[in-house]
Formats: sequence, C-alpha cells, structure tokens
Amino acid sequence: MSLPDAHVPSAIPGARFMDPVVLARIGNLELVSRAVVDGFINGLHKAPYFGASVDFAEHRGYVPGDDIRRVDWKLWARTDRYYVKEYEAESNSNFSVLLDVSKSMDYGSRGITKLDYARILTACLTNLVHHQKDRVGLVTFDNAVVEHVPPSAKHMEVVLHVLDRTKAGRPGSLRQPLHDLAEHFGRRGVLVVVSDFYEDPETVVDAVTPLRFRGNDLIVFHILDPAELSFGFADASAFEDLETGEQMPVVPDAMRKEYVSLVRAHIDALQQRFSEVRVDYTLLDTSKPLDYALFSYLSGREKKMRLR
Amino acid sequence: MSFIAPLFFVALAALAIPVLIHLIQREKKQVVRFPSLMFVQRIPYKSVRRRRIHNWLLLMVRLAALTLIVMAFARPFLQRQNAAVAGGGAREVVVLLDRSYSMGYGDRWERARAAAYDAIGGLGTGERGSVVLFSSGAEIALRSTGAADRGQLGAAVAAAAPADGATRYAPALKVAGSLLAESPLPRREVILISDFQRGGWRGEEGARLPSGTTLTPTPIGGATDQPNVTVTAVSLARSTFESQERMAVTAGVVNRSSRSLTAGQLTLEIGGRPLQTERLDVEANGSTSVTFAPVTVTGNNMRGTVRAGADALAADNAFNFVVSPVRPIRVIVVDRGGSGSAALYLTRALSIGDSPRFEATVRQPDAVSDDDLRRASVVVLNDVAVSTGLGRRLARFVEAGGGLLVAIGPRASWPQEADVLPATVEAPVDRTRGDPARVGALEYGHAVFEPFRAPRSGDFAAARIYGYRAVTPGPMAQVLARFDGGAPALVERRAGNGRVLLWASTLDLAWSDLPLKPVFLPFVHQAMRHLAAYAEPAPWLTVGQVLDASFGTDAAQQAGRVVLTPSGRRLPVDDEGSEVMELTEQGFYEVRGGQSGDSVLAVVASNVDPAESDLTVMDPREIVAATAGGSGGGGAGEGGVPLTPEAQERAQRLWWYLLAAGIVLLGADTVISNRLSKT
Repeated sequence: MSLPDAHVPSAIPGARFMDPVVLARIGNLELVSRAVVDGFINGLHKAPYFGASVDFAEHRGYVPGDDIRRVDWKLWARTDRYYVKEYEAESNSNFSVLLDVSKSMDYGSRGITKLDYARILTACLTNLVHHQKDRVGLVTFDNAVVEHVPPSAKHMEVVLHVLDRTKAGRPGSLRQPLHDLAEHFGRRGVLVVVSDFYEDPETVVDAVTPLRFRGNDLIVFHILDPAELSFGFADASAFEDLETGEQMPVVPDAMRKEYVSLVRAHIDALQQRFSEVRVDYTLLDTSKPLDYALFSYLSGREKKMRLR
Repeated sequence: MSFIAPLFFVALAALAIPVLIHLIQREKKQVVRFPSLMFVQRIPYKSVRRRRIHNWLLLMVRLAALTLIVMAFARPFLQRQNAAVAGGGAREVVVLLDRSYSMGYGDRWERARAAAYDAIGGLGTGERGSVVLFSSGAEIALRSTGAADRGQLGAAVAAAAPADGATRYAPALKVAGSLLAESPLPRREVILISDFQRGGWRGEEGARLPSGTTLTPTPIGGATDQPNVTVTAVSLARSTFESQERMAVTAGVVNRSSRSLTAGQLTLEIGGRPLQTERLDVEANGSTSVTFAPVTVTGNNMRGTVRAGADALAADNAFNFVVSPVRPIRVIVVDRGGSGSAALYLTRALSIGDSPRFEATVRQPDAVSDDDLRRASVVVLNDVAVSTGLGRRLARFVEAGGGLLVAIGPRASWPQEADVLPATVEAPVDRTRGDPARVGALEYGHAVFEPFRAPRSGDFAAARIYGYRAVTPGPMAQVLARFDGGAPALVERRAGNGRVLLWASTLDLAWSDLPLKPVFLPFVHQAMRHLAAYAEPAPWLTVGQVLDASFGTDAAQQAGRVVLTPSGRRLPVDDEGSEVMELTEQGFYEVRGGQSGDSVLAVVASNVDPAESDLTVMDPREIVAATAGGSGGGGAGEGGVPLTPEAQERAQRLWWYLLAAGIVLLGADTVISNRLSKT
C-alpha cells in the first residue's frame, strides 16, 4: 500500500509514507486508518502513550467517606495507620475528536479535500487510541453540533461509520458549538480539534480554550490545502467564498505576496496564542503524508510530555 | 491647429469605458471556488483593482477610434499664420475718438483729447495715422496721414467737440476696419478712446477688424458721482377748453447719480421763454414725474422745452417738443338729402372724436363744388347715383390724393367713364328671407381693421346685413372683408395718390343694422383716417433719426426748401431725392421754403438719446474679443481679405477625415473582436 513519495522529505530514515491522495481513494476508513497506524507503529520502536497513565502518585490519610476498598492494607500492616492510594490518572482516558465539517473544509486543490484529509486523520488517531483500550468518541460540528458520538470503548465502529458518511454542508463557526461542547465534556480526557480555523486568532483561541477548563488535554490540528498557503493561481478570476457564496474579482499575481504574508501571520498568531494557553497546535498541509504528519506530531508531543 | 468646439474634448472621458471593459471582461468567464475570502478581503481594494489587461491591440484600436471621433466633433482647423502679426514694421494707426454727448461729462473730453494727442505723438517715422470721430455714426476726420504731418492730425482732434449723438461702437469699428484694409503697412492698430458706456455695445454687430489688427482700448472713465439729471420724455395731454385747445405737459426725470437732488428746478419754456417753474426732488438713482399746468396751444409749430437746471452732463437736461393745433379731417358726405336722411348715423359718428377731429359737411350730389373737393380730405358717397360729371371730378380728386368711401345701396350707381372704383357693381342680393348675411373674413392686417385684431376688440359678425350689392373686384383691388357667402363686403383700390373704399351695403339702417353695433364708430373713424392718410405728427425725434424734409409740406411747396439746423446752418434740400437727412444736433430743425422762400413750413424737435446719459461702464475687453475674434475664428484671412466660404470649409475639413478614420477603426475593432471570440 505504501508508495514512495518524491516530494516529501523523509524525517525518518527508511520510513515510507503514504500519499494522502492514494489513501483517499481507498474509501474504507477502517482499512485506511489501520494501514496508516500499523505502518506507523511498525516504524517506531517505542509507541507513545496517549495521555492516560496508571502510575501511582501518592498516599494520603484515610478520611471518613473514602471507599475502604482503596485502603492500602499492606501499609496498614506495616504502620497500623490507614492510608489511601492515589493514582495520577484514570487508567482508561476519554478520547474525543472534534471535527469541523463546515463548508470551507470541502476544498481540495490536489485531489483530496481538507475534509477527507481530516477524516483520515481522525480515523487514524481513533484507531491508534483504540489500540490502547481508551474510550473513543467523535463530535462533528459546523456552526452547531452535527453528530455526537460519546466516548466509549465500544464506539470505534460507530466513530468510523459517522466519519464515513459525514459531509460538509453549512458555513462554520467555532465559538457556539465549542462552547456548548465545553460544558458537555465533564470527564477529563483528551480532546482533539481538527479545523481550518478561518476566523480571527483571538476568536479561535477564545472558542477553543474553554475545552481545557475541566482539565482536558487539548490538541489542535490546523488543516490547510497547499493552494491556501501558496495562493498559486494564475489567471485573474472571480473568487467565490465557499461558505458565504460571495464573489469578488481577484488578480492573484498582484495579491499573492500580500495574501501569503497574511496567511503566514494568521498561522503564526495561532501558534503563538495556542502556546500561551498550553494547547498543542499542529499545522497540517494536505499534501503531506498522514503518517508523516502523525509521526512528526507525536514525536514532538512525546518530547514535550517528558519535559512536563 | 485649433478647434472650433473644444468643449467636445470632455467626451474623452469616455476613453475610460473600453479600459474598464478590458479590465472586467476576463474575470466573468471563470469562477474559482475558494474556502474563504477572509484574507483576500483584507488586501486593500486598489491592489485588487490592479488587473491585467488582455488584448492590448483591441484596446488600443478602441481607444484610437474613440479619440478620433471626439477630435472630429471638436472640429479642428488649420490656421495660417499671418507673418505680419509676428514681425515688426511700420504701423497704420486709426484713432477712434468718441464724441458722444456723454463725453461732455466732467473733464472727460479734455482727457480724451489728451489721449488722442498721445496716440498721435506715438507715431514713428514712416507710420501713418487716421482720426475717426464717432458717436451714433462715424466720421473720418483725417484719412491715413503720414507721421510727418502730425500737426494735421492734432488739428483734426483739436477741431472736434462732443456732439449730441449716442455712443455706437460698431460703425466706428467698421470704418476703422475699412481704413486698415486699404493700408499697405504691415502692422495695424486701432486706438479706441471712449468712456465705454455699456449702452454703446449691443454685441458683435458684424464689426470685425482685419486679421492681425491690434485694438487698444483707452478708457476715459473717472468718477461718476457728480449730479446728473436727465429729462427722459414728456407726455402731452390735450384738452379743449372754451373752444381753445390746451395741453398739459408731464415730464419724466431720472437721476442717474448716486446723490439725491433736492430743491432743483424744472422749467417749462414755450417759444423760448420760461413759462412755469416747478420744484424738482429726485432720489439717488430714482425717477420722478412733474406735471405743469395746462398751456393753450396758440398756433402751429409751437416750440416747447422742459429744462432741468445744469449739472455735470448738461446735454440731457433739456427736452424739446413741438405742438400744433390738431388739424381736423374734412369729410364731405354726399347724400341724396330729404327728410329721412340716410347720412344721420354717419354724420353723428363723425361728430365724435378729438384726435383727429372730423369736420363733416353733407352735400347733395349736384351741390358738390370744386371748392368743397379742394378743401376736403375724404368724400363719402352714401348710396347716391353719381352723374358722369361728378364721377370725373371725384376721379381727379382721388388721383390727387383724396380719399373716397362709396357705400352702395339700392340707389347707387357709378358712371363707366370714371374708372376709380375697386369693383364693378352688380345686382342687389336680398337676404331678408332666411338668415341675414354676416360680415366675416376680415383682413386684420389692413389699417382699417387693425384695431379689431386683438380678441374681444369688436365683433363685426354681430351686424346683420339684409341686403347687399354683388360686386366683382377689379384687378388692382384688395378685398378687405367678405360676407358669409364669400361675396366681397369691403374692397379697396389705390388710384393715383388716393385710395377708394367700396362698402357693398349701406351705412344706414336700410339694408343692415351695422350702424347700431359698437364696431360702427371705430370702423368709420378708422376708414376716414386711412382714406385721409392721417398720421399723428411726432412731437419730437431723437438725434440719429432721419428727418423727412417733405414733412408738413404740400407737393407744391417742395421746391427750393432749406433745412435750418439748431446751430444755424442752412442745408438745401434738392428735388432729386436727398429729402431725408439725419438729425445730428439737439434743438429745433426748421424746414423753410414756400413762395417767399423763407417761411417756416415745419419745425421738428430733436432730442438727445436718453440712454446715453446712463454712464454704466462696460469691459473694453469685450469689444476687443468680439472684433479681434476674426483673426482666430478664420473669419479674415491674410492681409485682411476675408476667406471665401470654400476656403473656410477647406481649412475646417479635417474633421471629415478624422471621423472616417474613426469609423474604419471601429470596423477593424469588430473584425478583431470577432476573431478573438472564436478562439
């Protein structure tokens, strides 16, 4: 399945990555995600662990009301005192992907739309987490929540099914659906937001950060098409906004420089603001192979986890 | 190259249209769907508009076509440079010196003469100068004299004095133009010395100077704050009091200065002697009227003058007029007589009226004497049979200038031998049964019916005509009115110096009720005035108008007449034709002649034009622009010779080629764009 891809430099010697376009043609998300994740895991010597841990943290004194099953009897035997064992995290964490399915995601200049790319990414991540027996869930949203699959260990198939049939429809808006969801995720877990973030950096960060309030671990993937980054159009044309339908005359040659600098500034601002609020931000270009993207992200995250 | 209608270049703004079309055109072809225009919209609009133009060739063709068509509409023409304009050389100078009576205001005349001396003194060796004096007309005081004879030119200026005429620039400029056109010298200059009154310039008036002529205006203005009162007109209200004719004189006075006049004096002089003096108060820039007590009109040609003191401009302070007792029109009504006189309505109608009065004498046909005819101006034949003898005498009377009104009823007849009637009289037409005839189809342009021209000014159709005589108009006759059946009602013919009117019905109640209708009186009066060729003598004329020297005289008195001007000059009037002469002086002109050779035949009052006393100044550049326009507009060619219409047309024909080229380019544009649309 894996194809050599000439234009993507290999970060890992000997590793081979899969062209997203080819993946998009497969259609079966389960197959695709498995292929990506297996290859990815095979390529790594050490699997990174996602958020959840069963590590012992500390003892504390028993207080009335604590479950007596949690009393450390061995310690009582040695010290004749009641201590309760505390753990760093729940052993099985919740993992939910918040996928933007607004109309603007339905754009692709190279045979794969941003939404397709995001679906494969979501499937891969879900697959990866499911391997760890974590609970997986999915929320799709545009300017409101479209589909909601609550996190569950048994929901892997449901998530893939929902992903499979999801389609871009309405114009998107981050704030309202994410605020609604922030109240919904009561239990701590890992939340992944996948979107093209066509809003002001401030608005984006304001919309996304409430998801962290309950202690959720928040990861943000910014999906963009190469054409959106480089603005490589030649002829002067009328450009139509996919979401609003608004048209305006554009002379790409005259505007390219300013456009690219504006997009760059937008990305830099997002990166800056997200790092300020300790949210992991990753920009994904749909021309890059998915497993390469996953690898680069996860290896980066592992380094950060070690630091924490 | 210049343009006749450069305003059309505004249309060049239309060049933006093809440019815009070329800029917009391509973008409508394809629509690129893009996730979000968020960043595109943030880029300033001007850079968005900076689009690429495709098809430069097509754009250039369109722009060129538009430019050529606009240029064609601007009417370019080629101007041949006059070499003499640019180069130096000797000058031909015409000094135009305004001598209208307004130049007598303050010290204007002295300054004007000083300016003229300066102009003459400025003549260099080999240069020539002319002096033209002008007011309402222009007079060449000295024609093209060399600079060596400056003394002569100066003497011509020194001899001049303000006249009584009003300012008119156009005749003076035309004279200057003709003087310059004759000159062989290369440089031509007109020096116009005037107070530049607004009233003297009524637009261009065809005054064009030869090409290359310099017009140098020398305004003699100065303060106009000194008192200046003008007597603009008088009105004479006549009345009859105890068989004496009187008239009340009302004078209109205008104060043209910014100072009000109080306790001034306005005097009425009759025959040169002051008769009445009234107090005169006029507001600044205001006007008033003063009425004098009635004066008895004692004799013919009574001279009157209204005088308003003295001020800075004296000429317009006096106003002259001439009055004579009204001379009645003598009318002989020829009637068959008897108890039921048919002439009742006619004589009653003629006994009414003051201006003019009618003196009607009723005579029976056989009682009309030669003396009657000599004294009468009009003869009315009121339904009478005319004998051959009377017919011949009446014919002679008409030939000599008399008027004849013939009313033909059942009894009327006219001898064949005397051929002065405008129509042949035929059988009577009886309209007593059925509807009576009505008079219609009036010739309102004719003097008899002119007063009835306006709406509701008399209705002839109200009169019922129960009988009339069918008449057949002769070859020299004019039908002035017709009955409703189309038959002529009133026919006129000129015979010799006189006129004959034929009324095809009666002027009493025998055949019609016209005498009972309101239109009867004015109709009869108007017919009498017309037949007697009566004209109200004008009490005054204005300087510049023409005096008819036969005025007030009979044909027999025309030999050996002279006109005595107010300044005392005697101007003989010959018999050949110079009977008209222009009034140039203010005062009383006398026409003398007669058997003794020196009896006063007529007196005419002459007044200055009151418009001239308005000293409002115009911009001399207006005259310069209008007259010198000839050199720029192609009106005059080289050497002052005007271009022929063909030559002018040739010089302006450029627009034709431009338009043709523009149309060819439009055709090319069609071909190119067709090809482009196929690819």
